[in-house]
Amino acid sequence: MLSCLVYLRNSSPLPLIWYVVLHSFLMGVDGHVSQGPWFASVLTLKTSAPLRAEPKKKKKVDPRREQMVRERLKKKLKKLERVPPELIPIEDFTTPAKYMDETRVRGAAQLPFEESERRALLLKEWSRYKQTQHRAEMEAVGLAVEAQREALEELRLESEELYQAALRPDPLLFPFNHQGPSYTPPKAQYEAPEGKYNNITKVYTQ
Amino acid sequence: MAAPCSRMASRPIWQFITNVRRTGLKHTGVRQISLGSACRAATQTRSKTESVASPWKLYGAVCLQRLPVISQERNPIEDQFAELMHQMELERSLLSDHEQRLLEDSERMTRKQADNYDSDEEEADYGGQETITAQDQEDTWEQKLKHFQPALRDRDVGGTPLGSVERCLGDSLVLLVQQTVGKETIWLLPQAQWEAGETLRQTAERGLSSLPEADFKATFLGNTPCGVYRYTFPKEVRTERCVGAKVFFFKAFLSAGSASQKEPFLWVKKTELQGYLKPAYLEKVDRFILNL
Repeated sequence: MLSCLVYLRNSSPLPLIWYVVLHSFLMGVDGHVSQGPWFASVLTLKTSAPLRAEPKKKKKVDPRREQMVRERLKKKLKKLERVPPELIPIEDFTTPAKYMDETRVRGAAQLPFEESERRALLLKEWSRYKQTQHRAEMEAVGLAVEAQREALEELRLESEELYQAALRPDPLLFPFNHQGPSYTPPKAQYEAPEGKYNNITKVYTQ
Repeated sequence: MAAPCSRMASRPIWQFITNVRRTGLKHTGVRQISLGSACRAATQTRSKTESVASPWKLYGAVCLQRLPVISQERNPIEDQFAELMHQMELERSLLSDHEQRLLEDSERMTRKQADNYDSDEEEADYGGQETITAQDQEDTWEQKLKHFQPALRDRDVGGTPLGSVERCLGDSLVLLVQQTVGKETIWLLPQAQWEAGETLRQTAERGLSSLPEADFKATFLGNTPCGVYRYTFPKEVRTERCVGAKVFFFKAFLSAGSASQKEPFLWVKKTELQGYLKPAYLEKVDRFILNL
């Protein structure tokens, strides 16, 4: 009986049965606890360490621990995966290797003196030609602006109402589209043939 | 706005004084009413004088331009410069695939003609095929080019009549019509007389659309006139009311249109305007027709 009491130290819900059994056993025939003070202290003994070592009692702690370990691993994986997306290469900016070949270099032409002189003189003449062209253009635009100013002046002298109507902007003018001059004139009633094509442009995804 | 107000204010007082002098003291009770009526009468007469005082007839005209369809021919200096640029670009460039092939072929030829020519070695490299040299290809291409006949750029070489829109595809052309002004029929830009209740741009549009047997689709460039031509009528026609006329020009670009050849239309370049327009008219019109 004493050995049983020793094992009842640090109790959990199950050993309550032991208490009840012990109490009834101690009560025995008399119906009241007639043992000495030592027994009373024994009743308050808690269960001992070996009883704690049962495998059933570890359910709460271990799953939590395992979960924590798994979460830490996942976080580490996420950090590794958080790589910035690769930049799409601009193919126009990379010189193809074909053109870095040394065999392709053209020999530097040795220009005779007359040729270089002719070139220098031609460049100067060209700049003079372009300058006169630019001046003529600026003058023409100036004249046109002056003509418009005069027209508005005369119109104002005529009637204020027409003048105000002339100053109003035209909302239907823009967007204004016009096909500029091409090298050859367009053919009348020309139907361009519908062609097939293979699109070989490289498409990058980030 | 201050000046007209003061004039307006001074008028009724003067009218009132004259009224009082005429009517005397009998109409003192009616003074207030007569002042009001005098005021209104003053404004009415003033507006009438304003509308009557403009002795100029207004016309709206349209300067319809057909923009160039093909690029212009190069000047001699432009030609020379273009050639120079092409040459310089060529000198600064790398060898192309075709040129490299030419070099390789010429090297191979020299190796074949050398004394220690090992045909087995060469053919092992190139697989024993009969290769077409780049030079041969060039020759065939040149032959093809000789046989090719390109179409003429400018379809008319001075052949189309002046009335056709298709002439001088490299320049911008202006539309001229023959209209009776006063007693004469002269060539001028299509115009119409202004009627009350429309803007001058609408007048110009009406002038264009009222041309007989011609449907031109034009886009007018804004509401503002680009030029004005003011002329006085000859003395016989001149009256107090109309001393002369003012023609306001509006610019428009031709977008689509067709005209029969019979009608008296002219599509002329800026340089040819001199042969058709009167000198004073031409002076004003020349300024806003840009040859750019």
